[in-house]
Amino acid sequence: MPPESTTTSAVESAPTSFRIQKERTQFLGLTFDECIQGFFGGNALLAVIILGLITFFLFREGSSFFSQNRDNLSIYRLAGLEYVDLGRQPEKDHAALSRYLADLRLRTYQYYTAQKALPAKEANTLLADFDLYADRFARASAPIRSQLMDWSEIANDIKARHLTNQNLAEKRRQLLAAGKSAEAAAVKILPINFAVEVETITTTLPAYAEASSTFARSLEELIVAPPILPDVDLTVRMARFQALTRDFIASLPATLESMKKWDATVPVPLSQSFTAFIFGRQWLTASFWQDWYGAMPLIAGSMLVSLIALTLAIPLGVGAAIYVNQLASPVEQRLIKPAIEFISAIPSVVLGFFGIAVLGEFLRVASGWSFLSWVTGFPFAERLNALTAGCLLGLIAVPTIFTLAEDAINNVPRAFKEASYALGASRLQTIIRIIVPASLSGIVSAILLGLGRVIGETMVVLLCAGNRIAIPDFTAGLGVVTQPVHTMTGIIAQEMGEVEPGGIHYRALFVVGLLLFFIALLINYFAQKIVRKYKVSIG
Amino acid sequence: MENSSPTSAAPSRTLATPPRVARKDDTVPSPTLIDVKGLDFYYGAKQALFDINIAIPDRRVTAFIGPSGCGKSTLLRCLNRMNDLIDGTAVKRGEIKIRDIDIYGPAVDPIELRKRVGMVFQKSNPFPKSIYENIIYGLRIQGVKSKTKLDEVVEKSLRGAALWDEVKDRLHESGLGLSGGQQQRLCIARTIAVEPEVILMDEPCSALDPIATAKVEELIHELKKQFTIIIVTHSMQQAARCSDRTAFFYMGKLIEFDETHNIFMNPKNAQTEAYVSGRFG
Ligand SMILES: Nc1ncnc2c1ncn2[C@@H]1O[C@H](COP(=O)(O)OP(=O)(O)OP(=O)(O)O)[C@@H](O)[C@H]1O
Ligand SMILES: [Mg+2]
Repeated sequence: MPPESTTTSAVESAPTSFRIQKERTQFLGLTFDECIQGFFGGNALLAVIILGLITFFLFREGSSFFSQNRDNLSIYRLAGLEYVDLGRQPEKDHAALSRYLADLRLRTYQYYTAQKALPAKEANTLLADFDLYADRFARASAPIRSQLMDWSEIANDIKARHLTNQNLAEKRRQLLAAGKSAEAAAVKILPINFAVEVETITTTLPAYAEASSTFARSLEELIVAPPILPDVDLTVRMARFQALTRDFIASLPATLESMKKWDATVPVPLSQSFTAFIFGRQWLTASFWQDWYGAMPLIAGSMLVSLIALTLAIPLGVGAAIYVNQLASPVEQRLIKPAIEFISAIPSVVLGFFGIAVLGEFLRVASGWSFLSWVTGFPFAERLNALTAGCLLGLIAVPTIFTLAEDAINNVPRAFKEASYALGASRLQTIIRIIVPASLSGIVSAILLGLGRVIGETMVVLLCAGNRIAIPDFTAGLGVVTQPVHTMTGIIAQEMGEVEPGGIHYRALFVVGLLLFFIALLINYFAQKIVRKYKVSIG
Repeated sequence: MENSSPTSAAPSRTLATPPRVARKDDTVPSPTLIDVKGLDFYYGAKQALFDINIAIPDRRVTAFIGPSGCGKSTLLRCLNRMNDLIDGTAVKRGEIKIRDIDIYGPAVDPIELRKRVGMVFQKSNPFPKSIYENIIYGLRIQGVKSKTKLDEVVEKSLRGAALWDEVKDRLHESGLGLSGGQQQRLCIARTIAVEPEVILMDEPCSALDPIATAKVEELIHELKKQFTIIIVTHSMQQAARCSDRTAFFYMGKLIEFDETHNIFMNPKNAQTEAYVSGRFG
């Protein structure tokens, strides 16, 4: 049909053939467009619902931890365990002093064998006096120790009976729920009067006080005549030991005082259950004495490992991003980009494997090289430690940081670059003064997301971090990185399979998971906030 | 191919010591500053410039005109070696001499060259920094630290770009907060702050309204006392108003180069005639 005729016919029949009304195929009363919209909307909604369910589930499983932990802490107080621990503190401090002596002996021994070149046997003979002294020092705490042993038995017995009662009560509840009231009534529970029971401990405080003063007296006798040591440095250390022991003796009355003031009937507030979790320095489970659920060692471990990882990953990731985007030739770009992105495809268990077999061993051996002996913390004996795990986590974070930072750098308008060059700037000056500042917020958010990746990583830390549940000793300076640590993710993976569902330990692990979830949420929130700001400032 | 060059008294000065004597009289022929001879330029395998010969006079305004894609920007960006930043570009034949120095010679540092040959872009592109920081960027990268010197340059450059009165109270606010015309003058100020000899302008007014355009044109008129200016424009009126000489390009070739009034009133080439009278392009 020639074009003119179409136009004319259209004009003639205009009112009827000008078809703009809706007339589309419909499924179930929905147009095709609406179906597609519904499909995508449904998917988005599902994602939101699942996120909500996860949050809800974590909360439900985790929330009753705090009341359970309060019960845990209450029984610690009611059964007198707390009291016994007060009395045990001097024993612990005394043991630390004994260790100081043992260290001093080792130094003296080394002095004899290394500096005086004496044979081992002769050195030991020279140290016979010292050994005698150390032995007497160690045995000085015997009086309070026997007292503490008696107390521990009583307290443990009270606690055990309480736990039995709890089990019986649970059993009775189950029977009642099953409708077997006769059997339920047959379950006998002997109620415990805690106040009375604990008095069997507290009333013997005078005996403990007596033992304590004997202890103090024997220490005082010992301290006036310590063994003479052959070197200035060693003598100084011995003087320090004397001073420490005097301080310790002076602290004994305060301990007695706090034991006198102790009151089993003071209730444990819920907030303490909270602070005991967040700031607690011990994570001790399945203990015969008292379980502690303090997240601090895990938080500190996770932070330490992440810090090491970021220290490595930031220069590598950002540096590679700058290089690939600004300096590399197209051939290099084609090689480097996929290579770095491939790292993220390596299963983390394989990396962990590599960490144990190669990296950890290498680092340990390298720490022994004499030309590296100036590094704090070198040499170290543990193959698996925060450094090994941190190095691998850094590797894992590199692709995330690299990809996102490269994106951010790529988004810097070409015009800025050209303007800089046209003003006589070199490539390096343009990168440092224009490109990095203009993409800084993007780079920072890349780093944050890298951190998120690192904090959440489980396999590598479980395999390589050494899994020692203790707050790393930050007084060691940089050497802290060579200590084994445990992490929030690692502990969940390690212990979740062994715990009894619904128990306090199980719930404690959930709360750790909840904590991780919030940290991840927070990191993502800040990363997004920074990116949004960045878009405005470049616009 | 018409290519009337003025009497080129070969100056013995080097690039680094530009003359700073204001010249008043535009009718007097000016010596050649930039001398392009037989230039062939390629983007990869694609040839963009064919045998360009042009002698650009010192402290005059030279306009490049021609239809889109004819190579005006390409030639302009050859003059400060901005094309080096694009992979695969090459000058295959010919040379460009500024003050008798071959700028593609092995001894020439493109970074030093760009300090002597500044550039203003089509779309104003101030850095996302304060007005003050924008102006002193060129000096900062040269390592100038003295606050008094920097302050002095900022005022001088902004006055030079006729922007001082408008921004003197907001020097430390972002350069992106200015109007389009002000931003373009800020870019000019930033360029003159490093005291180049030549300022290349690639369609500097194409994104500006008539009033802002008039201001920039006025500015160009002032600046030519001190700087050699080359301006690429699609506006015949603009070329006629503010340039002394005009070069017409077509399909990568220089068709005609002459005094501006000759190009517009009395073109020798038929293509030029057709273009300036608006019959093609
Ligand atoms: N980066 C590049 N890579 C390849 N070819 C290019 C590139 N830049 C420009 N060209 C080509 O070179 C020729 C000249 O382009 P140029 O930008 O110099 O034209 P122009 O005269 O400035 O045009 P306009 O008036 O539209 O700005 C065109 O054919 C263009 O397609
Ligand atoms: Mg152009």
